[in-house]
Amino acid sequence: MEIRALLSALWRNKTGPLLVAAQVALTLAVVVNMAYIVRQKLEDAGKPTGLDLENIFWISVEANSPDYNFAAAVKADLAYLNALPGVVAASTSNNVPQTFNSSDLPFAADPQTLLNPNGGVFGVLYYGTDRLIDALGLKLVAGRQFSPGVVMPPAASFDASIARWAPEVIVTRAFADKVFPKGDALGKTVYTGLINKSAVIVGIVDQMRANPLPAQYEQFATQIVILPIIAPGPNARYIVRTKPGRRDALMAEVDKNFADLQPGRFIDRLEGLDRTAEDARQGYRATAIILSVATCFVVIVTIVGIVGLAAFSVASRTKQLGTRRAIGARRYHILRYFLVENWIITTGGVVLGCLLALAAGVQLSRMYQIPQWPLFYLVGGVLMLWVVGLLAVLLPALRAASISPAVATRTV
Amino acid sequence: MFIHDLNLAFRSLRRNPVLSALMIAAIAVGIAASMISITLYHARAGHPIPWKDDKLFAVTLDIRDDEPPRSFERHPEYPPFQVTYQDARELYKSDIPVHSVVMFRSGQVVTPQNKGIKPFGVSTRVTTADFFTMFDVPFLYGGGWPRSDDDAPGPVVVLSRFINEKIFGGINSVGRQVVLDGRSYRVVGVMAAWMPRPKYYDLNGWGGWEIPEEVFIPYGWGRALKLSPHGNTSCVRRNAKIDGNDTLFTQECVWLQYWIEVRNLADRDRYQAFVDNYANEQRKHGRFPRKNNNRVVNVPTWLAMWDVVGDDSRTQLALGFIFLAVCILNTLGLMLAKFLTAAPISGLRRALGARRADIIRQHILEVIVVGLLGGAVGMLLTLGGLGCLKVLMFSGRLAHSNNPDRIALIQSFVHMDIPVMLAAIGLSLLAGVLAGLYPAWRIGRLAPATFLKTQ
Repeated sequence: MEIRALLSALWRNKTGPLLVAAQVALTLAVVVNMAYIVRQKLEDAGKPTGLDLENIFWISVEANSPDYNFAAAVKADLAYLNALPGVVAASTSNNVPQTFNSSDLPFAADPQTLLNPNGGVFGVLYYGTDRLIDALGLKLVAGRQFSPGVVMPPAASFDASIARWAPEVIVTRAFADKVFPKGDALGKTVYTGLINKSAVIVGIVDQMRANPLPAQYEQFATQIVILPIIAPGPNARYIVRTKPGRRDALMAEVDKNFADLQPGRFIDRLEGLDRTAEDARQGYRATAIILSVATCFVVIVTIVGIVGLAAFSVASRTKQLGTRRAIGARRYHILRYFLVENWIITTGGVVLGCLLALAAGVQLSRMYQIPQWPLFYLVGGVLMLWVVGLLAVLLPALRAASISPAVATRTV
Repeated sequence: MFIHDLNLAFRSLRRNPVLSALMIAAIAVGIAASMISITLYHARAGHPIPWKDDKLFAVTLDIRDDEPPRSFERHPEYPPFQVTYQDARELYKSDIPVHSVVMFRSGQVVTPQNKGIKPFGVSTRVTTADFFTMFDVPFLYGGGWPRSDDDAPGPVVVLSRFINEKIFGGINSVGRQVVLDGRSYRVVGVMAAWMPRPKYYDLNGWGGWEIPEEVFIPYGWGRALKLSPHGNTSCVRRNAKIDGNDTLFTQECVWLQYWIEVRNLADRDRYQAFVDNYANEQRKHGRFPRKNNNRVVNVPTWLAMWDVVGDDSRTQLALGFIFLAVCILNTLGLMLAKFLTAAPISGLRRALGARRADIIRQHILEVIVVGLLGGAVGMLLTLGGLGCLKVLMFSGRLAHSNNPDRIALIQSFVHMDIPVMLAAIGLSLLAGVLAGLYPAWRIGRLAPATFLKTQ
């Protein structure tokens, strides 16, 4: 092949190719890094919650009267909600899952661990009744649920209820495996820092994600300790799980009747949990969409650049190409010439682009506190740009190949 | 002459409409991308109170145990961003600052006297009296309360404009009563519209991207009513004990924001010495186990420390500029191709007596026309893009908010203001010039004879 002629022609007219190579380099750096960040965001947004989101709604009730009897109201409310036809289970909760509110304490299998600097494992606290596991739709994989008798009545304040603690807990598998790496958490006693209490693990649920935190805060999303405690008042949050398809009707019914069941209070919020989860993830999705749309545009602009350069180079060499055809070059030679020329330009850009991508990757991984992208992102990006480059040049190259040898005989 | 050049420029653009359109489109897309990213960044990088940079300071104390940093801490070198109740009480005794504020966010329920309005929840700031003067809060009616109402708390309240409208229909409600959590408070002030962005005085909740509280009551009510803080509460020391007995007021838990206003920087340094001295004294009693790492920092430092801008905004900004660079390179290539194709015409003009400078000037004008046209289209794309973003990012949370302040805050993220618009015009000119300077110079350099020969 006429590689030397090709290179010398490229060298003679190097500005255009250099510009395209520079675009390719920047594009590669953008594509590789943005693909990684977007995937990271989508992963953060798409992590399974372990919750039956579509069939759960929650109610936040606030008291507005000083003589509101919270303890009595909770009892009546739970009885009412659990008796509603179509309700699977209803419980109080200290926090609504899939919001960013949470409380946590350090835990350990051995109380001595808690005395060490940073000793212990963080556990996010959830308070609920014996129905909470069912109300959240969690899957119990070992042990049992709380028995109704063990549920602690509401204390005067949140810290009073923490300080009183509870005799037994149900934990997520992520928590169990972290505190008891041998996998024998069930039936073991787990100790807590700050309050110096302990409780027996009576059940393990498969999976639960408390909030949509980014990956580096995983421990504050999945390591969960559920306690049989009714959260203190006077404001209450109820989690209600319904049979499939019944939720909307039940939400409307509860919205209408619930507040007036007890005097001196009102419904502050009533919302489907899927909606709550969706809102909390909105930020991740939005960033992912913004970054991917922008990245696509960068690629499109680069394609335009490649097509433009190739079209110009074909147009300005029409006569020369005609001459080549006239002296025996075949269509496919011309086609090959342009494809190879473009491939060389793209490859030049790709080499520079790899360095840029790497530099940007180091910066991003430091900024987001995430590991550097694995090599296949770079390999994928390089392959993509090669293919895109060849496809972009195909049209002008075909046009060049179709130049008639007769052009050589014309003067202009 | 100018008109002639302009005429030539438009003629030249019309001669090759596809190429011209591509160039304009490339510049437009590049401008739009960078404008959108600048807008998003600009909305988050604002400085809410620049006139108090040498007066207003956030105070934080490093009371942490002496232990290695935890894996999830982004800046283990910074002290906790809030202070404990007992430290706040001691710091408040200093007379170095002209104003000191200790405060936290909570929530209460308003029961309007007017039976037509249902009770509703509000966010409450529980704060000492100097809050309003320190943060330059504007008032519609009345003002704050005297310091004497702080400790043995007086039943007084300041309302935000929105809440005053909701409860009293926007009238001057000073002197009227408001029932919060079943207790009656006298309105002493109604704030005018006030939205520091970010909400630097308390970064709890969306990292400072929250609206100010809706009602404000004296600090003493916090302990008297055991109002729970709506924000981060962290019991930072191993010997802290939660025993259900006033934990927040007795234990090593940080949950209060502390700010001071001093006369000048010399007083700031005196205050820093005072704080360090306080820590040294406490160390004798077994507190403050670390080396002194107490910070008295002004607002810009404070915002930088806690990164209110955020990684995503920075990434978007960088991406926007790289995007613009790609577009400029692209336009440069296309422009070069276009000029070279039209070189024979320039050759003819040179042969007929046009000087090199004339040729270059004419081409630069063409480049500027492309840049400005691209900028104009880019501006439209920017507005369209920001409109899409508004729908995309904020439909969820906007949909269930009837609070005009919240809606205004959310809209401010995608709001393009005059400086950003001027930047757009500047950028499009710059882009055009960057993309066209070399091609114009190159075309001016060509010897006319080369082109005349082939004709």
